Amino acid sequence: MRFNSLAFRLFATAAAWTLVVLPLAGIIIYRLYRDDVQASFDGQLQKLVNAITVDSMGAGDAPPTAPANLYEPLFEITHSGWYWQIKPLDDPSGLRLVSPSLATASLPSPAARGITPDSSGARWMDVFGPKREPLRVVEVIDSLGHEPDKPRFSIIVAGPLDWLEHLISNFRNRLTIALALAGLGLLAVTVFQVRFGLLPLRQIEGGLSAIRSGDATKLEGELPAEIEPLQSELNALIHSNQEIIERARTQVGNLAHALKTPLAVITNEARDDKSGIGAKVEQQAHIMTDSINHYLDRARMAARVGVIGRVTPVPPVLSPLVRTLERIHKDKGIEIDVECPPDARFQGERQDLEEMLGNLLDNACKWADQRVTLKVEVSGTTGRAKGRRLKITVADDGPGVSTELRGRLGKRGLRLDETKPGSGLGLSIVSDLAQSYRGSCKLARGPEGGLSASLELPAA
Amino acid sequence: MRALVVEDDEDLNRQLVAALSDSGYAVDSAVDGEEGYFLGDTEPYDVVILDIGLPKMDGISVLEQWRRADRKMPVIILTARDRWSDKVAGMDAGADDYLAKPFHMEELLARVRAQVRRATGHAKSEIECGALRLDTKSARVTCDGQPIKLTSHEYRLLAYLMHHNGRVVSRTELVEHLYEQDFDRDSNTIEVFIGRLRKKIPGDLIQTVRGLGYRLSEEPEQG
Repeated sequence: MRFNSLAFRLFATAAAWTLVVLPLAGIIIYRLYRDDVQASFDGQLQKLVNAITVDSMGAGDAPPTAPANLYEPLFEITHSGWYWQIKPLDDPSGLRLVSPSLATASLPSPAARGITPDSSGARWMDVFGPKREPLRVVEVIDSLGHEPDKPRFSIIVAGPLDWLEHLISNFRNRLTIALALAGLGLLAVTVFQVRFGLLPLRQIEGGLSAIRSGDATKLEGELPAEIEPLQSELNALIHSNQEIIERARTQVGNLAHALKTPLAVITNEARDDKSGIGAKVEQQAHIMTDSINHYLDRARMAARVGVIGRVTPVPPVLSPLVRTLERIHKDKGIEIDVECPPDARFQGERQDLEEMLGNLLDNACKWADQRVTLKVEVSGTTGRAKGRRLKITVADDGPGVSTELRGRLGKRGLRLDETKPGSGLGLSIVSDLAQSYRGSCKLARGPEGGLSASLELPAA
Repeated sequence: MRALVVEDDEDLNRQLVAALSDSGYAVDSAVDGEEGYFLGDTEPYDVVILDIGLPKMDGISVLEQWRRADRKMPVIILTARDRWSDKVAGMDAGADDYLAKPFHMEELLARVRAQVRRATGHAKSEIECGALRLDTKSARVTCDGQPIKLTSHEYRLLAYLMHHNGRVVSRTELVEHLYEQDFDRDSNTIEVFIGRLRKKIPGDLIQTVRGLGYRLSEEPEQG
């Protein structure tokens, strides 16, 4: 997951929320529970101290008696953590009553440490017991049934805090585990939610790359309501793009048609004119024709730039061209041998491929003795479509071109043999077109001695 | 040889007609697709020059309709649209050759000659029959290397017979292939021209096949 992605944003916000809320909730629940447990423990101690107070009252002036230890069996077990103690406050030598569990030890008095009583008159304190165990201590000062001015007693009850701590820490551990599991669960759900929620975007990505590679002409599939407008806008954009290109092509063709007929007339008229002006006009008309062709080619190429890629299967382009050329050169009885893998596809416009192959084949047919060979190869067939190249070789069995002259071939308007018909533009158009596809057109000596032209173009 | 020019640009049409006439063709012309189609459908042309962009009916449709009606004359299409897809469309519609505008008239004439030769089964630009030799390029006839002076009508007649040498050519066929559409066709004029030709070329190269027509042949007359 990249940092700058929708998925990361959604996941990070959801995760941050989970990470803040869950611990906060944990702390609150823990505190509530702890306070509750402490309050209920305090309530139990309070009940015990009250019961002991009432139970230990002597009748009349009689001294207090040890209460019957019915309330808590642990008062009977030595150092159990549960203790009680009754001590006269005003008479230090007076009788001190304690629970059997306390044995010889004594409990410290909160009153003696200056702790103020709460609304019910009880004083609370945490201390360490005879075995250094933490204790919760409650003390009530009472005259134990005597007149209010009679000697007072301190009644203290203590309960073990470690049990309480144990209870609370147990709860804390279980709470932590439960919340951690909930957190992990939430994160997992978030990941799923983000993936599932963003799935249509992946679909669009796939659709666009299918358009780029030419497998589709528009974005297909049912998309969710939120991005459905995006889909229709994209489709409209692609469509209008194609329309603009078609229009540009049509207008370029119209312009050509409109200019070329008058130029044909001027040229023919000028040829018949024997005065000096005729030659001049013919020469200028020739330059104009050349310029028109040059800029028409440019316009056609420019119309193509930035278009989402098209794919042209090669074999359907070959057969009409071969048929046409064999027909044009019927007198010479030229035979065109074609070798092409059935799945060869060109990453580009059909018209451009036709133009390149048509010009190369036409050249080859003009010069060939009997045979022209056309071979299409696809390199890098394994792996992805990117980087795959088409290599198209057109060779003839004609006289060929010397190495020195070959270097000059392909220059605009250059014709090595003025006796053969042609404009001298064929090879330069092929080479311009190939370059516009980041390909190349190379000339070499063919296997049968003629000229061999190799086109290298992007495959799809 | 009769030729048809179908081209909507009047100047170009005139130039084509002039150039073809100068080369010894009997030329008819049309400036729109419908008229062109009608002429091609009714008259026996030896070659047709057909523009693609025509008013009323485009060139491709004209050509397709001719071919559907089994009109087999050679057709050279003429167009400013010089992309290979246009050429393929034209050839697939039944054209025999293709020429992109602007073109040199010499090239057009060369292609016209090639189509006429191809249609009559001659491979070379020079057609021979005995001592007689026709150079289609220069529109000249020689006999034993000596040039023969011919009027344009005589040339047309002899050229037609030489293209079809060895075959019996009827008088009607000659009339149909030698004169423009509006020419006053009187088959007796053919006999006059045959008579004049017989005086200019040696021996009995031009044979009369009674009841059928004429034949140009170096072999002796049968029967």
